[in-house]
Amino acid sequence: MKRFSLSVRSLLRKPGRTAALALLTAFLALAVFGGSVVVLSLRNGLNSLEARLGADIILVPSEAQSKVSFQNMFLQGTTGAFYMDASVLDKALEVNGVEKAAPQTFLASLKADCCSVKIQVIGIDPETDFTVQPWISRSLARELGNMDVAVGCKVEAGVGEIIRIYDQRCKVVAQLESTGTGLDTAVYCSMDTMNALLKAAEDKGVSHKIESGDQVISAVYVKVRDGYSIDTVNSQLTGRLRKVTAVRTRSMLTGVSDSLAGISRTVTALIVAVWALALVILLLAYALIIRERNREFAVLRLIGASRRMLSGMVLTESALCGLLGGLAGTGLAALALFPFAQLIESALNLPYLMPDAGTALLLAAGTVLLTVMVAALSSMAAACRLSRVDPGTALREGT
Amino acid sequence: MNLNAEGLSKQYPRKTGTANYFYAVNPLDLAVRSGEVAVLTGRSGSGKTTLLNMLAGLLRPSEGTVRLDGVDLYALSDNDLSRLRSEKTGVVPQGGSVIDTLTVLENILLPAQLYGRALPVDAAQQWLERLGLAPLRDVRAAGLSGGERRRVAIARALAQDPVLIFADEPTGDLDDENTRLVLSAFRACAHENGQAVFIVTHESDALQYADRVYRMESGQLSEA
Amino acid sequence: MKKERIPALLLLVLSLVIAVGSQTFLSPCVHEDGTFGACHWAGQALLGTGAVLAALAALALCLSRARAGVYLSAVPVCALGILTPGTLISLCRMASMRCRAVMQPAMIILFSAALLCAAAGALLCAKKESGR
Repeated sequence: MKRFSLSVRSLLRKPGRTAALALLTAFLALAVFGGSVVVLSLRNGLNSLEARLGADIILVPSEAQSKVSFQNMFLQGTTGAFYMDASVLDKALEVNGVEKAAPQTFLASLKADCCSVKIQVIGIDPETDFTVQPWISRSLARELGNMDVAVGCKVEAGVGEIIRIYDQRCKVVAQLESTGTGLDTAVYCSMDTMNALLKAAEDKGVSHKIESGDQVISAVYVKVRDGYSIDTVNSQLTGRLRKVTAVRTRSMLTGVSDSLAGISRTVTALIVAVWALALVILLLAYALIIRERNREFAVLRLIGASRRMLSGMVLTESALCGLLGGLAGTGLAALALFPFAQLIESALNLPYLMPDAGTALLLAAGTVLLTVMVAALSSMAAACRLSRVDPGTALREGT
Repeated sequence: MNLNAEGLSKQYPRKTGTANYFYAVNPLDLAVRSGEVAVLTGRSGSGKTTLLNMLAGLLRPSEGTVRLDGVDLYALSDNDLSRLRSEKTGVVPQGGSVIDTLTVLENILLPAQLYGRALPVDAAQQWLERLGLAPLRDVRAAGLSGGERRRVAIARALAQDPVLIFADEPTGDLDDENTRLVLSAFRACAHENGQAVFIVTHESDALQYADRVYRMESGQLSEA
Repeated sequence: MKKERIPALLLLVLSLVIAVGSQTFLSPCVHEDGTFGACHWAGQALLGTGAVLAALAALALCLSRARAGVYLSAVPVCALGILTPGTLISLCRMASMRCRAVMQPAMIILFSAALLCAAAGALLCAKKESGR
């Protein structure tokens, strides 16, 4: 403990030197923690998107053609409304190899009085839905009732609160878990509620009618039975259904996962570059500092410090610097990443789901431990060289 | 306490010339006794400091042994030798030998602190007063003059109450008054406390405080 | 420079960033149709709070007496700044909106840092007082 206090005193009384070394290790921690959190969040986001897109094929009207805008609904939560006749669902179910098919209907709200954006309203059939319903079930034990809505985690509305959509009073019955995708900014309701909302929208002059009939849906999520080729089912569906486009979810996911791999590679390269640079600087810095302190160490040997003691003191000092830098770097990264997660998500334009508190804490602790070890190890070479010299020789060299 | 050197020598590799090595200290026998002040004089570069360092357990000799009460210093492990240095010897090296980041008092207490021994605060205070350093007690060593640093190193060596005191040019930076003060302190240590004092100097002032005088010339030791 | 003035200088810089930021790079959402949402008024309140904080920081920097009191009075102002966006004045309902994604977290961090500066300043002054 006495020697430990000596190390602490030495750090405190050379604040400039301590701060410089801590700053270097802070860069290491910042790069590792920041980089890992971003990559982890992107992976989480992709997994979450994969889970929410539990379908193999999504049928949308050809007018919604552009796969890109459809993809944006999932990635960024941009609103979209396109309709087709509800009979598409029955026709899809008749196709050989279709295991499940569930409809969803989209409606973009008018700009709410609270803010300047439209909110995407998604109507589901709780009985057949296999993509969104399991997620809703985690937050709501019962089915969505008439004029009940469940809101994504990014829509700020408490349970029990009434929100107005096209002047219809909808009661918020659940707030859903975060998915890191565009689904977080949407509001979910049953098909009955959706029909009421569609009617209200029509009353307001927002027409969604299509020629063929009143019953409209926006998309059909199709799950292909095991043993059937998705491509075959896809072409059968396209052949059978007119004015309908079949989008393969795999192709959407591949696009996202390619971007993610690209970003992961960039982040990893960045981390490696920062580490290589900081490690070289750290090694040089310790070599220089220990040379500068040669006389001090020689005096310590003279008054009875053993080699082991001296190495211990050098290692303690550098580990403490590493701890200081590690905490500062991790703290700074956390301060930039956690409060501004939404901003990062918008900038990356990819599903981005931050790790939970436990994982983040574990990651932070690991980063700090790593920086402490690296700081201590980088001073080791210098410490070893120092302790090989006789104190008498060191005194002479240090003069 | 008996410190005996037998066949002690130090060779260094030669950078020029035909022979590979030269003797900085030729093989010699020497005994340092309790209650005596031994003074070693000689010209610069004659090997005085090398001999002192070898006797103090700071520099491994090329040949020969140094025994303290029968224990061969250089046969000990680094840990044991370091502990022995801390407990039995007080060394005042050439040049500044204080740690700049510590205060004067902290510097003096450092040897005891390293091994968790009881801090000799009273002894430290006493030596600070005797060597005229009392007002500087809590001043950071970085701000001290050369002479003050030298006296702090002396106070540090003496405050541990060692059985052996080694001093290399201890009065080099000191004025006449402080030189007298320091040398009488060394003599008092030997004559009143029975400690062994070994001083290396090229100043003739020290000779009048000596009980035994050695001369060193080109690595060759002789008793005057 | 006296040690107790350093937090005041930091506080001044932070409060200027807050005041200027609330109208520029950290501003709330801009409505395309020119109407104002609640977050706009939160932004205006933050401008005011930042300005008051800047005045207090300037006082702490110039005054030689009662500096501790000025620092202490800055603490509740900072707390007010932390609570303004989202708690005292509601923001847009969508977390992806600029007011919630940028203004709110940035202001909370800036005001928290200012609060720490004010507390540190008060502590330094108290230490100096007790040292006399």
